[in-house]
Amino acid sequence: MAKPPEPIEEILPQAVYVLDAEVKEVVKIGPPPPKVKAAPGATSTGQKTAAQTVKLTVKRVLKGDSVKELTVEKPEAGYALTTGNHGPFLIDSSNTILGRYGPDSWSFERIEKALKAKA
Amino acid sequence: MPISINDRKLATLYARFEKQKQTNPNLKLGQEQVLQLLAEVGDRWGSSAAKVLEQLKKPGLTQAQQIDIVKKGMAEGEKKDLAKIVDQGSIPLESAAKDFINAVLGRGAPTPTPGPTPGPTPNPGTAGLAITGDQKNGLSGVAKAGATIEAINISAAPGGRLHMDDTMEIGKADASGKFTNVKLTGDMAVHEGDLIRMRARNADGTTSDWVTVKAHGVEAKDTRNAVVALFRIGMTDAGNGKVAVENINSSRQVSEPGAKLQFTNKRTGEKAVVTIDETGNFPKNFTLGGKPGDSFSVAASDGANNTNFATAVGNVTVPGGTPGTGDLVPDPALHKDELNSDGSPKFSKVRFTGPLFVDGVNYEDVQQGQLGDCYFPSAIASIAKQSPEAIQNLIKDNGDGTYTVTFKQKDWATGKFKDVPVKVDGDLYARSYGGALYGRSANSSDPKRMELWFPLVEKAYAQWKGSYNAIGNGGASNDVFEAVLGREGDDLYVSGSNKDAVWNQLVKSLDAKSPVSAGTYGEDQEAKYTNTGVYADHSYSVVGYEKSGTERYVVLRNPWGESEPAGNGANDGIFKLKLDEFTKLYQNLMFVH
Repeated sequence: MAKPPEPIEEILPQAVYVLDAEVKEVVKIGPPPPKVKAAPGATSTGQKTAAQTVKLTVKRVLKGDSVKELTVEKPEAGYALTTGNHGPFLIDSSNTILGRYGPDSWSFERIEKALKAKA
Repeated sequence: MPISINDRKLATLYARFEKQKQTNPNLKLGQEQVLQLLAEVGDRWGSSAAKVLEQLKKPGLTQAQQIDIVKKGMAEGEKKDLAKIVDQGSIPLESAAKDFINAVLGRGAPTPTPGPTPGPTPNPGTAGLAITGDQKNGLSGVAKAGATIEAINISAAPGGRLHMDDTMEIGKADASGKFTNVKLTGDMAVHEGDLIRMRARNADGTTSDWVTVKAHGVEAKDTRNAVVALFRIGMTDAGNGKVAVENINSSRQVSEPGAKLQFTNKRTGEKAVVTIDETGNFPKNFTLGGKPGDSFSVAASDGANNTNFATAVGNVTVPGGTPGTGDLVPDPALHKDELNSDGSPKFSKVRFTGPLFVDGVNYEDVQQGQLGDCYFPSAIASIAKQSPEAIQNLIKDNGDGTYTVTFKQKDWATGKFKDVPVKVDGDLYARSYGGALYGRSANSSDPKRMELWFPLVEKAYAQWKGSYNAIGNGGASNDVFEAVLGREGDDLYVSGSNKDAVWNQLVKSLDAKSPVSAGTYGEDQEAKYTNTGVYADHSYSVVGYEKSGTERYVVLRNPWGESEPAGNGANDGIFKLKLDEFTKLYQNLMFVH
């Protein structure tokens, strides 16, 4: 995708959970999205990867109810998850991972600062 | 009467021979001259004419082997040029030389034309090729036993530097002549509706005729429109209110065969549609109504996508005319992602009045906004790092609230780069709560303080190319290098096996104060980037290199101005990678000559 992540201030209000978590298992992978036609060597083509259903092991809850494990949906996006991937996960009310790059969208520091500002 | 040769280099060489004939009327083209001509025909990406000539002159080479070398780089247009030299040339050929060229042209031993033959037991002919079934799992068919199957995706090729004959080997026919589910990969990967050009190379060195297949069964729907190489569209004043349109590099495609291109004269509103021919070129003598200085919006359709030509690819301007290109032009439209379903904009514009430069030009001034144009800010930051004076020369404050950004465009009439001035004002799309939406610099949330040079250069580029949508769906940094510096861009594919070549190129460029950028992999390789701090399908500025003992490091900058691998100090987007790691995560280097 190669666009920068969305501003955290726009996404945080949609998050029911903000978790420090790790991908325990990739449960399901959806159909591949349409291929984007692009010139050889081009970047920022907007190609997306298939949606995934993943099980997260939660280490820490920064926002939301206490939870140890959560099965969530990774939408079609410019990133993909594998077992062991970790970081901050923002999850909305339909259990979908928010942020253009999932756990690589924003640092814990940035998220915690935004949470504090919101409070 | 001199013959008309389309390939520029071949034409130059032949003109030299014609000049020699003026002083030597008995001149006949012999083996030496023919080898020189064939070297020009046989050159291809990564193998210059000089290199091909060296190969052709290698002692002990048979004529069949020489023909094979030439054919590897011979495009359809060049083949036609060669035929002209034999049939209509002003300089006679020695008999052996004529036979040699005829053999290259396949006139001595014609091959059958089997084409795609449906049915369970296709017959490829004595040296033919037949494709069977759909392409759900790849390409299958029949050729001569043991033949190598070569193919190129001519729907994907126009945007690159490939000829239609620059095939890759994708498989081999078995002892019965069958090949099954062979695939094109990488940039050439096949999508629904793509045109795949194939041939079989037999064990004896002969080749089948070309067969073109329209891929079906690969995906549910054809969603990729025809690629248009705008940079190959040359326009010249033909007089009488007409503009001649040509592919300035006819040995490479302007678009895929059969694609329809609509040209709209932005001054008169007149529209014209042209169909790209089987060689990927415009039909001969194609003209449009217009005059020097006119700008044409170009839209394309492959017959399945954009059939109403609603989405433009970009603009092409006829060189010359009055200096109308310097007039203030309307602001570029938003990217389609920032439009509501009824087409109305989600964001409005704010007048930014900050300084053009704060403490001069600094590459860290460049911050990519919410636009898929990473190739642009990464290229501009690279230029700002290597030659800040080029940025100072690029944009001028007119003192009246407007700024003129002067890009470079190759003038195909003279072969030189010419200036394209674009005048813009300080109106930029902004978020409701403040801050520039697209390209920005520090203090972006304050319209009176944000440093303006980068956002305005991006705005002018969007204006020149048609809209933010026209530049915000991917591209290549070397095109931006050309547009700013007026120097030819190039690229080098990165892999673990050419580490030294990659290192040498980036050291050479950076030492010469030339900009370099590097692109990561996209399609199907995103998973390897998660948690690395490097992002897929993204372009980075290469801002330096370091050596520590035997270890070599590449210093990079994320055009977001943040987000980088851990352990690289402040989160400013600047980080270094070991060369080994760099060659795993990056797929190309882009630079200028």
